[in-house]
Formats: sequence, C-alpha cells, structure tokens
Amino acid sequence: MKTYRIVAVIERHYYEARRNMDRIADMVYWPVLDIIVWGFFTIYLARGNRLQPGLVSFLLGAAILWGLFFSFQRDMAVGFLDELWSRNLINLFSTPLTVWEYLTGLILVNFLKAMVGLVAASLIAMAAYSFDIFPMLPKFMPYMANLVFFALSLGVMITGLIFRYTTKIQGLAWSFAGLLQPVSCVFYPIAALPRVLRGVAWMLPTAHSFEGMRSVLAGQGFSWFHFWWGAGLNAVYFVLAIGGFRWIFEAARRRGLLVKQE
Amino acid sequence: MLVQVENLTKTFRDFTAVEKVSFHIEAGEIVGLLGPNGAGKTTTIHMILGLITPTSGRIEIFGKSIATDREEILQQMNFTSPYVAFPYRLTVMENLKIFARLYAIPNPRERIDELLELFGITGLCKKPIARLSSGENTRVGLCKAFMNNPRLLLLDEPTAYLDPEIAWQVKNILLEAQREHGTTILYTSHNMDEVERMCNRIIFLHHGKVIASGSPIEITQAILEEERETPALEEVFMRVVKGKAA
Repeated sequence: MKTYRIVAVIERHYYEARRNMDRIADMVYWPVLDIIVWGFFTIYLARGNRLQPGLVSFLLGAAILWGLFFSFQRDMAVGFLDELWSRNLINLFSTPLTVWEYLTGLILVNFLKAMVGLVAASLIAMAAYSFDIFPMLPKFMPYMANLVFFALSLGVMITGLIFRYTTKIQGLAWSFAGLLQPVSCVFYPIAALPRVLRGVAWMLPTAHSFEGMRSVLAGQGFSWFHFWWGAGLNAVYFVLAIGGFRWIFEAARRRGLLVKQE
Repeated sequence: MLVQVENLTKTFRDFTAVEKVSFHIEAGEIVGLLGPNGAGKTTTIHMILGLITPTSGRIEIFGKSIATDREEILQQMNFTSPYVAFPYRLTVMENLKIFARLYAIPNPRERIDELLELFGITGLCKKPIARLSSGENTRVGLCKAFMNNPRLLLLDEPTAYLDPEIAWQVKNILLEAQREHGTTILYTSHNMDEVERMCNRIIFLHHGKVIASGSPIEITQAILEEERETPALEEVFMRVVKGKAA
C-alpha cells in the first residue's frame, strides 16, 4: 500500500465534500437534526415531570452515538456511489491504485467526516440542552470504537454489493443502518425486546455498545463484558466483510462489471 | 517487445467477446486496433489494463504479467477514452491534482500547467468538469493520460468529440510524443483517415477475432484481396462490416 495513493483518495473526497452541498448536509445536518428532535422530546418530558433521572443522558447520548454509526456506514457506501455516478471507476482503477488503497482512503475520509458530525451534534446538545458528552468520552470511547468498526464492516459489505449489483441497490447505502436500529437497542435495553429478537440483538456490536453506554450513564461503571462481546463480533464481521468484498471484487472483474457500472 | 498478448479469450456466460487474440507491440510503435462496434476492441483494452480478468490467455507488458505486476505496469502506462468521465463537481485542476498524486508526479502543479498548455485548456483549470463541452472533457482526459509520461498509452477513440482543428493538434502531439519520447501507443478509432496517418501497424478485429494484421497497405490488400498502391481502410472497414471478409 502506498500512502500517497491513499492521500489521493482522501483528496478526491475532500474536494467532493467541499463542492457538494449534499455531502455537507449528510455530515452535519442529520446528526444535528436528530439531536434537536430528541432534545425537544426531553424538554417535553421534563415539563410534565415525566423525566426519570438520567433519561436526558440516555436519549441524547444514544442519539449522538447512533448518528456516528449511521453516518459512517452511509458515507462509506455513498463515497463509492459518487464514483459510479460520475463514471470515474475506470479512470481510478486504470492507475496503479489498488482496491485496498481505495478502501483505506474511503475509510479514513469518512472517519473524519463522522467526527465532524459527532462534534457538531455534541456541541448542539451542550449548548441547547446542557448535555455535555465530552467528560464521558473516555469511558464511551471503546464503545464508540466498536460502533465505528461495525459501521466500517457494513460499509465495506454494502460497497461490495454495489460493485456487484451496481446502482440498482444504492438505496441500501441509506437504509441498511435503519434496518438494524430496532434490534440495536439504541434507546432501550436489550431486555425490552421480544424474546425472539433478543438473540439477534446479542449478535450485533451496536446493541452491546449501547448497552455498555447505558451502564456507564447509570453509574454502574464500564462494562467489559459488553465491550468484549462487541469487539469479538466485530472481528468476525470484519473478516467476513473483507473476505466477501475481495470475492465480489474479483467476480466483478471476471464478469466485466468494473467497466459497466452505472 | 513492449506488449505481448497470447491467445487472449474472454467469454461472458455464452457470449465470446474476444477469442484467441494474439498480437505484439514493439517499443515506439503506434498500433491501431480497428473493428466495427462489438468487435472486442474495448474489451481487449480493458483486459490489458487489468480491469477485466481474461477467461484464458496471457498478457505481458514490459516483460511482466498484468495479473501479478499490475501496480508496476500501470505506473508506466496510461489510458483515456471520451466514454469515461471525471467527478463532475470537481474542477479540472482538482481532478488532475488527484491523478498527479496517484502517479506520484514530482512538482505536480508544474506538470499540470504544462499539460493544460499543451492541450490548449489553461483557461479551464478552475472550471468544474460539469461545465465543460465534450471536446474540452476529452482534452482533460488527454492531460490525465500524459500525466506520467507513459511508456505505453492506450487511447480509445481519443479524437471522437474533437473538432477537426483540435483533433489535428492532438494527432500531432501524439506523433511528437512517439518521436521525442518513444511513447508506444495502442489506438482505436473509427476515423480511418486518422488511423492511416497515425498508425505504423493495424490489428483488425471482427467478432472478437483478429482477421488481419499489418501495415495499412498490407491490411488493405489482404482484406480487399487485390493489389493497391495506397491504403483504403474506409473501404476495408465497409467490406468487413458487410460481411464480405472474415
């Protein structure tokens, strides 16, 4: 892997973000909008004395972290779609750029974009609802790392599927994370799910991250159990995503799909 | 030998796009790859670039296999086609800066300015690609193709969208690159006059197979099956398309 080629991919998406209002909106607009909506909801609960202690932190903390996960997964796939929409794939892959350098560049640039969204949402939560996530970050960090890692695996997997099925399945870029949200237990504990879905939740690193986060907010300390469960699952999903992507990419080259993407 | 293609075959399910194609290109040659639409020209170029994996056969470039030494080979070659595009929101300069970085060009700004001037589009450097005409886009593609001073250049209909004056300039630039830098060029075009003027040698493809190979005059005589003093590739092309040669 050559660093300068990874930097070229980052540069390409940096220019895109600077010139494309959609990308700026994706980066900041949705995370901030989420916080505003959940913030008003906590204000409504507080007025009617329906606010249980710690609920503001549960809701706003969860909204901020879900925003991080969702935007990272979506931007991975949308970044690749940008190449398809602009018919740039042949240009890129007729240079010495390897697909792994391309993916690494995409991951790094989307990590930076997700961080911008995270900071924007956190600052709004602090300014408008006096919810300061920053002191909690050291304890949240391992759970956030698990969220980001899972988003990365999903992003790689969806990018692979787009390689294979082209823009016919581009909706997955925006919808797949939403599909996981009910079983990721973002705003409620795993125990709140029907028994049949609890098994599914246990297999998702997202559910373990949010369960761990609630443990921290409830003053029960850092849950190593949920962290390691999430990390272990992530390792499995990452290996599957990379293996699957490699297989799909080679199949796409065999079938000539790399030059017929639309 | 700069390029060696042996028994190259590509099948997509039950359709054979390229069948047992063999040819070679010597250093410094300009070779035309001709044939009607669907003859297998672009598929062959894409296999040489490593974008499509051949079903069977062997491609060696600079004495190395594209299957195993892709990065090293692609660092020394380049490609352009008016049918591929650049990110349209980015400016010409931004796009070319990205490709300069991908090829690790020293002093990229200097090189880009040089190329923009060479192809007469210096004034467009701050314009987004979306606002360029097809001809201007083609010239940006040519700037990209010359970025790394390639030893081997694959050009898929490089003058398709250019007006005659610009096309003439581009042809001169290509001939100069061959003369001064020894650039080897594999060239596809539907403009037969252009091919006659540009190419030392021609490989004629039809239904995925090589049906003739040689200088323009040799091709003319082989396919028209008569003695000629000057090449007549237009006539050859029509003969092939109408099915009187295969």
